Amino acid sequence: MGACIQVNNAQYAYPGGRQALKGVDFTITKGEFLFVCGANGSGKSTIGYLLNGLIPHFFGGSFKGSVIVFGSDTRKMSISKLFPHVGLVLQNADAQLFNSSVEDELAFGLESLGLAPKHIEDRIVETAKMLDIEHLLKRPPDKLSGGEKRIAGIASILCIKPSVLILDEPYANLDQQGISKVSRSLKKIHASGLTIVLIEQRVDGYLKDASRCIVVEQGKIIFDGKPGNAQKILVSQGLIPKYPKRTPKNDFPTRTLYRNSEILLSVNQLYCDLNGKNILKNISFDIFKGQSVALLGKNGSGKTTLIKHLNGLYQPKQGKINFNGQCLIGKDPSQIAALVGISFQNPNDQFFQNRVEDELNTGLRMVRKDYQGWLEQICHLFQLQGLLRSSPFKLSEGEKKRVAIASILAMKPQLLILDEPTAGQDGRSKQMLAKILEKLSQEGLTTIVATHDLEFAQAVANRWIILDQGKIVKDGPPVSIG
Amino acid sequence: MKPIDPRTKLLLGAAIIAGVLAAKSPVSLFSQLTLILSAIFLLKKAKPFFHVLKMVVPMIFFVFIISWLSFDSYNALMLSIRLFNLLISSFLIFQYIPPEELAGGLRKMKIPFGFVFLLTTAVRFVPLMQNKIRCIREAQMSRGIDLRLKVKNTKNFMALLGPLLVQSFILADELAVAMEVRGYGCKNRSFRKDYRLAFLDYAVMIVSVAILTIFIHWETGL
Repeated sequence: MGACIQVNNAQYAYPGGRQALKGVDFTITKGEFLFVCGANGSGKSTIGYLLNGLIPHFFGGSFKGSVIVFGSDTRKMSISKLFPHVGLVLQNADAQLFNSSVEDELAFGLESLGLAPKHIEDRIVETAKMLDIEHLLKRPPDKLSGGEKRIAGIASILCIKPSVLILDEPYANLDQQGISKVSRSLKKIHASGLTIVLIEQRVDGYLKDASRCIVVEQGKIIFDGKPGNAQKILVSQGLIPKYPKRTPKNDFPTRTLYRNSEILLSVNQLYCDLNGKNILKNISFDIFKGQSVALLGKNGSGKTTLIKHLNGLYQPKQGKINFNGQCLIGKDPSQIAALVGISFQNPNDQFFQNRVEDELNTGLRMVRKDYQGWLEQICHLFQLQGLLRSSPFKLSEGEKKRVAIASILAMKPQLLILDEPTAGQDGRSKQMLAKILEKLSQEGLTTIVATHDLEFAQAVANRWIILDQGKIVKDGPPVSIG
Repeated sequence: MKPIDPRTKLLLGAAIIAGVLAAKSPVSLFSQLTLILSAIFLLKKAKPFFHVLKMVVPMIFFVFIISWLSFDSYNALMLSIRLFNLLISSFLIFQYIPPEELAGGLRKMKIPFGFVFLLTTAVRFVPLMQNKIRCIREAQMSRGIDLRLKVKNTKNFMALLGPLLVQSFILADELAVAMEVRGYGCKNRSFRKDYRLAFLDYAVMIVSVAILTIFIHWETGL
C-alpha cells in the first residue's frame, strides 16, 4: 500500500503564539482507518487542519516541517487544489451545513469543482444512496436530528470523492443511536476503499473500527500502533475515564432506603405539548433528599424538556410540581433559581463576564444571598483557584464546564440539575466531574444528571429514570435496570 | 409545464410592493388588504400567517400609537394599514421564493456570487440563531437572572448579548473554515440549476408591469 500523506516533523503555533504541535511525524497509507485521539487541547484537531492545507494557508501562524499529500508539499498547493483530494468534516455540524437544503449542501462542493449540472445531480443521487439519506435531500439542515446532520455533513464532503476523508469529532453530542448511525456509515465508506482519519476524544468502543491508532498529547504523538495495544496508554492518559468506586456509605442502591426520607421534589401527572406535539406524557416521580438521580434516554426523548419544567422555564399543560411542599407552577425561573439550579449543556451560553470570579458571583448577586466561605469551598472543590482572574472564554472545555457548574452551585441550590455534563468533555474531565458529584452527594446535595452517557450515569447516580418518547419507561437502581 | 423563473417571481413581488406603496385612498388600501387576506386563505398559508402575525401586530400597534400622537387617528389608521399590507404581502411573496431560487435569480441578474451567498447563508442561519438566543436566555434565567420585559431588568439583558456575540464570532470562524474546505474560493464554479426565461415568464412580467402602471396612474394621476 502506498503512502498518501506524509507528515514530517510538523511544528505549528497558532497566531497569538499557542504552540499546538511540537514535532509530529507519521505517514498515512492508502485504505487505512486511522483513529487520532487525545484530550481537549492536545493538538488532534490541528493535525486535521494540517492534512488539508488549512495550516498554513488559512490559519496563518508559524509552521515548520512539511506535509506531503500525494507527492506534493501542501505549502505549494492552495486549499482549492487540495480539497478534492483531502476532505475535512468539521466538528460543528451547524457550521458545516450552510445551505438551505441537504441537496444544496451536497451540490456546493461539486459546483466549486466546476462540474456540469448533470454530473452534479448524478453525484448527489449516488452519495445519498450510499449513505441512505435520499429521504433527507429536500430537508433544511435545521429540520435534521443530530445524527442526520452529521451524516449530511459527511455526505457533503464524500460526494466530492476525496481520496482521504478526515472527520473531526463526528460522535460529539450524539446519543448511542446517532453514534451507531454515523459509525455504520463510516464502515461502509471505508469498505468502499477510502482512507479515513477519525479524530475523536471518545474512544470507548469505537477504537475497534480503526486499523491504526495515534494518541496525541501536548502536541506530540505518544503512541502510534494497533488499536488493540492502545488500551493501556489510553487508560494511563485518562482518555478512558476511571470513575471513582462508590463507597458503601454513598452506595444506596434502592429507592426503599428513602421510605422514611423526606421528599424534596414531587412531579405528578405532568403533561407537556410543544408546537402541537406531546413531548411529555403522564410523568410522575418523587425525588428524595440526598438522592443522586440519572435521567436517561436518547436525544429527543424529553429529558431536557422535563428538567426545564423543574425550574419554571416551561410551564406544563397539566400536572403538579412541588418542591419541599411548595408549588412551583406559575413561578418565574428567577424565583426558583435559589432552590433548583440547572447547568445546561453548552457552558458558553452562560458566560458574559470578563473574569471567572465575576461569573461565580453573578448568581449570588441575583438571588441576593451571601454565604460566608461558600465560594472558597466551591473554588476548592472545582479546582478553580488559579483561574479566578482568567476570562471564561479562554478556558479549556473541561475548565469551562467546571466554571459553568460552579456558577450554578454558587447559589447554593437544594437540587442541582446537570444537562448532558459530559458532552464535549474528554475522559479526564469526565473523571473529575464524577469525583466532584460524588463529593457533593456525600455532603447531602440532591442531584439529577440528564445524560445519554451510561458509564457516567453508572458512576454518579444510584437511581435511573429512563424516558422514551416522553414517558417514564423504567425507574429504579441501575443494577435492576441493567 | 416549466415553473416560473425566480426572476419573474422577484419582478412580480417588486410590482406588488410598489402597488402597496403607491396606494393612497382608503378604497385602495382596504381593497389591497382584502385581496392579500383572501390570497393567504386561498393559498392555504393561514398557519404561517398567524405565526407571522404575532410579530407584526405589536409593530403595527406601535406605529399606530406614534402616528396617532404625531398626526391624527385617520392618518394613523391609513399608515398602519399600508404597513400591514407591505409586511404581509412581502411575507406572502417570500413564501413562494425559497432561498435557493432567490440565489439563482439574483445570480442570473448578475449580482456577485459573494453577495448572493451572504444573503442565502444569512437566511439559513436565522433559525439557528433563534435557537441560540433561546438557549442563552434559558441558561441565564436558570442562574436567577430576571429577563422579563421590565425597565428594572434592562441591565440584565447584557447577559444575553455577551454570549450571543461571542458565539456568533465563533460560528463565523467555523463557517469560514467550512466554506474553505468545500472550495468557496474556486474560480471556475459551476451552478447546478440554470434558469431560463420562457414565454410564460415574459407574459407574467408584462401583465404585472401593465397592471402596476394602470394602478399608479389611477391612484396618483401620473
